[in-house]
Amino acid sequence: MLENIPILSLLLLFPLIDAVVTFSLGKNPKAAKMSALVFSAIPLLLSLLMLTEYTQTAGGYQFVESFSWIDTLGIQYIMGVDGISVPMVFLSTLLVFLAVIFSWDIEHRTHQYMALLLVLELGILGVFMALDYFVFYIFWEVVLIPMYFLISVWGGPRRSYAAIKFFIYTHIASLVMLLGIFALYFEAGSYNGYYSFSMETINAVSPFFSDTFQIVVFGALFFGFAVKMPMFPFHTWLPDAHVEAPTAGSVLLAGLLLKMGAYGIIRVAFPALPSGAEEWQLVMVIMAILSIVYGAVMCLAQKDLKKMVAYSSISHMGIVLLGFATFTELGIAAGVFQMFAHGLITAVLFMMCGVMQHKVGTRNIPRLGGLAAKMPYAATFMVIGFLASLGLPGMVGFVAEFSVFTATYDAFGWLLLVPVISVAITAAYYIWALQRTIFGPLTKEVDTEHIHDLYWYETLPLAVLSGLIVLFGMFPGLILDYIRPALGTVVGLLGGI
Amino acid sequence: MDYSALYPEIILALFAIAMPAVGMMLKDSKFLAAVSLAGVGLAMLAVFMHFYEGLGAAVFDNGLLVLDDFSGLFIMVFLIVAFVVILASAKFIEGEKHAPEYYSLILLATVGMMLVAASTDLFVLYIGIEITSISSYALVAFRKKDIKGTEAATKYFIFGGISSAFTLFGISLVYGLTGTTSFADIGVAVGSLVEFKEMIWLALVMVIVGFGFKVAMVPFHAWAPDVYDGAPSTITAMLAAGSKKMGLVAMFKFFLIAMLAIKADWEMVIAIMAILTMTVGNLAALNQTSIKRMLAYSSIAQAGYILIAIAVGTEFALTGGIFHILTHAFMKGGAFIIVATLAVAAIGERITDYKGLAKRSNFMAFSMTILLFSLAGIPPLAGFASKVVLFSSPIQGGLAGSEWLIWLSVAGIINSAISLYYYARVVKYMYVDELDEDVPVEKLKLPKSMMAAVAICVIAVISIGLYPDFFIQLCQDAARALLA
Repeated sequence: MLENIPILSLLLLFPLIDAVVTFSLGKNPKAAKMSALVFSAIPLLLSLLMLTEYTQTAGGYQFVESFSWIDTLGIQYIMGVDGISVPMVFLSTLLVFLAVIFSWDIEHRTHQYMALLLVLELGILGVFMALDYFVFYIFWEVVLIPMYFLISVWGGPRRSYAAIKFFIYTHIASLVMLLGIFALYFEAGSYNGYYSFSMETINAVSPFFSDTFQIVVFGALFFGFAVKMPMFPFHTWLPDAHVEAPTAGSVLLAGLLLKMGAYGIIRVAFPALPSGAEEWQLVMVIMAILSIVYGAVMCLAQKDLKKMVAYSSISHMGIVLLGFATFTELGIAAGVFQMFAHGLITAVLFMMCGVMQHKVGTRNIPRLGGLAAKMPYAATFMVIGFLASLGLPGMVGFVAEFSVFTATYDAFGWLLLVPVISVAITAAYYIWALQRTIFGPLTKEVDTEHIHDLYWYETLPLAVLSGLIVLFGMFPGLILDYIRPALGTVVGLLGGI
Repeated sequence: MDYSALYPEIILALFAIAMPAVGMMLKDSKFLAAVSLAGVGLAMLAVFMHFYEGLGAAVFDNGLLVLDDFSGLFIMVFLIVAFVVILASAKFIEGEKHAPEYYSLILLATVGMMLVAASTDLFVLYIGIEITSISSYALVAFRKKDIKGTEAATKYFIFGGISSAFTLFGISLVYGLTGTTSFADIGVAVGSLVEFKEMIWLALVMVIVGFGFKVAMVPFHAWAPDVYDGAPSTITAMLAAGSKKMGLVAMFKFFLIAMLAIKADWEMVIAIMAILTMTVGNLAALNQTSIKRMLAYSSIAQAGYILIAIAVGTEFALTGGIFHILTHAFMKGGAFIIVATLAVAAIGERITDYKGLAKRSNFMAFSMTILLFSLAGIPPLAGFASKVVLFSSPIQGGLAGSEWLIWLSVAGIINSAISLYYYARVVKYMYVDELDEDVPVEKLKLPKSMMAAVAICVIAVISIGLYPDFFIQLCQDAARALLA
């Protein structure tokens, strides 16, 4: 029965319909919120349905839909998911749904805000499901526009600067990536005898591409993805964008947009240019480690809680790249799992930053202190989030990071010490930050008389996320069972170490 | 003689000549616009019927003019531009003197553009260019009392005259060397020309300078921002979407037919000019305070993109060039008409005047956003689709052997990224910034006909973006027809 439902297209269709409906409910903020809530719940249910219907052991792409779109250029609308995209699709629908709830107190231009969140969902889901390079690129770019508006209308004091910097910086990166995609298209066309943007068609001939071609084009694609992830030294847009973005924007930015970069590497760059990837391995490892160390060190220097979390994202995405760069099944699986884990954890952290800003009026760590007494629930979630982020065993981050480090040791030996030590430093700093914000004596810097603990719309998303962090930490197989069978092809292309 | 290739031009020319007589009877701008629209519609119908009946290429007088896939497409584009401009003008020039002449000149200018599109002979091409140019000099100065407009017209006239002189000198050299003015024959003769190579280079330089002025190629672009800024906004729309494209069509014909045999001699020059033009245009657009000047510089940059097609010179590249001309006509034409529409509601031409526009007219702000994002090449809009074809063609050429062509793609893409800044800035003013305090927050009352003109452009931009297949096919046929 379910075979006949175009589940992936429906996943795209509902956010689109709802963006229009919500936007047109302009006069009534309450109705806009309700419609956003209902319609973002539908993709979530659909993705849950997809999780259950997906055959884990089969590998390959499932639920594939394909229609021809631009025949003259060989562009098709092909949608399909495999074990790498399924967790990402689930994560996307979940985070958008929770972000809608968490934004319940948005009063300024509510209908536009909600509509933009849903357009963002459309773009992100499209990226995770598209199997045609052209369509992939279109969704990739569609993501930028709602995020630009989210930051520039609902952001902090320097929102204008941050929004335009985010927009142009990532736009340049995507254009460079587009050049790489063109090159793939023409090169594959000359082998196939016909031109097509389909990923499977291009990837089928990828081992025949000459080495020089692979090195150059991999460079172009990798640049596009590395900026998005973002990897040191292309990260400078991220702290600005995060600090200025509204909370839901930050949650989706860190939780999903960064994942698009990592996803692009594993979905596009590796399979299309396997020997290019091998040539670039050293660069990837160095960039990954630099990002881990740099992110961690910058964390230490931050006074703004949100900026600290932003830098920790760079560090954690470095772990993803490190996993990928091992080229082993374990490393890549762990990298993908880390993407999923970081999506959950960072959402909690950014929501807590939002809570601090709203309740206390500042995110400046030295001005906070002893807030656990005033808002015990918030403090609980903050502890969960921070501990998960520093990699406490039993939580989802630990499994991911530990597996990446195991794979790193297998591949590169004692080079592992560098990232491990810097992660250890961050852990210490996290604990210290917790101590300075929610424990210890109550701060006198700010008015703590009227601090209210969490409202329902804040508690609910935080509770769901915390539950999932522990659940998947205890039973990582729930997600890893999707990921591992899907990696055979890409690991095989990379030489199957 | 078979006149069928000339039907559209004849129809339109008759309307243009009749217009002042009609104006004697009724001076109402709306009525005159309706008559002109009828003329444009009839001409469109003539083109449509020609292809609908599958008559194939119609040749006039042993090859002075031809109506084929290439010229048919461009004649259609120019007619659509004229249609939109006239539709927007009905209200825009209401109550002004000399309305009949205004419409008559627009129609005549369009006839000139159509002649250029259809020409297969260097001399017909030149005549077409002159008809358009002389009509548009007068149109730019249409508001006689407007100092800015008069200054712009003077500048335009002087620069235009000089450029025509250069072109004509180049043409006469080509004629002297080859003994023919037909593109196809020149193409054959140039290939076998062994003596007087220097003379043909001199001719090339003259023609590049002459056409360079027409399409506002850097370093011959200085007149464009002043003229675009000073002219009435509807006329600016016509200049940017129509006459400038006519110059590019002329360049396609001259370089890709007549001078194709010696492509190695000029391709690098055009490539460098293309990169210069897009870069200078975009950089200069960055800190403009007037929206019309900003759009004018962006127009210069877009011409730079289209020059890529000539430098690469393959069928695929030409498809991209034609496609971009098509989409750019809608994007830029629409944008200037929005400026004109808002001017009717007394909104100024400074970019800061657009602050909080979304609150005063949602439709205008939305339309402008779509058009600007399309100009920047954001998917899934028309500008993205055409840039994809255009910018990917050098890569195809590069992989096929001439590696240096790839730099054209790189330059195009870097420039697209730069341009996003000034387009996004306008969007920010319209949606993000609040209205100035002294401006009343109330919905603007805008003329329906002008909104219709804008709507045509926006719908075209969205639908070409969502379903480009059909249009790419058209452009491909056109490119094949030209290169055949």
